Amino acid sequence: MRLMIVDDSMVIRNRIARLMNDTRFADLEIVGLAGDGHQALAIGRSKRPDLITMDLTMPNMDGEQCIGELVRFLPEARILVVSALSDKATALRAVSRGAHGFLHKPFRDEELAQSILELKQ
Amino acid sequence: MIYRDLSPGDIEIFSEAIGEYFEASTGEKALVRSAYLLEGSDAPVLWNDFHGVIAISGGYHGTVCFSAPRKLLSHLLMSIGDRNYTDECHLDLVGEIANTLSGCARKHFGEMLQISTPMTFLGRAGEVRAATDSIPYAIPFQWRGYEAGLVVHLRKT
Repeated sequence: MRLMIVDDSMVIRNRIARLMNDTRFADLEIVGLAGDGHQALAIGRSKRPDLITMDLTMPNMDGEQCIGELVRFLPEARILVVSALSDKATALRAVSRGAHGFLHKPFRDEELAQSILELKQ
Repeated sequence: MIYRDLSPGDIEIFSEAIGEYFEASTGEKALVRSAYLLEGSDAPVLWNDFHGVIAISGGYHGTVCFSAPRKLLSHLLMSIGDRNYTDECHLDLVGEIANTLSGCARKHFGEMLQISTPMTFLGRAGEVRAATDSIPYAIPFQWRGYEAGLVVHLRKT
């Protein structure tokens, strides 16, 4: 399975990528790291990820808009929103746009791992 | 006229967010101390090496600024398994923390609260200008012996 990580923070992108070294994710290949929605769309078109972790607050194009665009040409991709925006309305809106799960920042490593495992199923 | 629009409950949300951030990210709690009014300061920030500033709008107007010393951020990077200790990485982290703490507050303040992407800088606290005429609240804390803080400078619109 191909994974794309989308977050405007390099620290968070790298942290998620490191967590994917766990043996539970041996079947995952990271195909792209994107710092904003535009980069995510470009990588999405060229690499066709199956799984996507998506931040919401990003420059240039935010996560909500990016999800709406991605699902048009990647309808099968499963998207996990990883965001600090902690209100219920934001989570519901992201799901209505096409996200499959929502993980609040700050997250524990195992919380992220479990969320990705659930997304893979 | 000086506005002091935030209630103790509003400030407590940010204090809890600091504690939650460090516990979730590193497994080690931060010692969050009592908030105080930051009177007589030119800029709504606490002196430190690195600063991450979030502009707030939508129901409230102002800034949230997270400030921390290099050593705290380096230690935090180490705790999460990062081995990149460049200024770029420290700036990225301080901005991400400011963003996360502000985002956590949206559960309390509501979805109308708009949170900008972070503006970050090294030193030069004077670059942050007061966005409102209310008095900022400073929330100091300690993590692994390092002193850092959050300044919440918001006013209801």
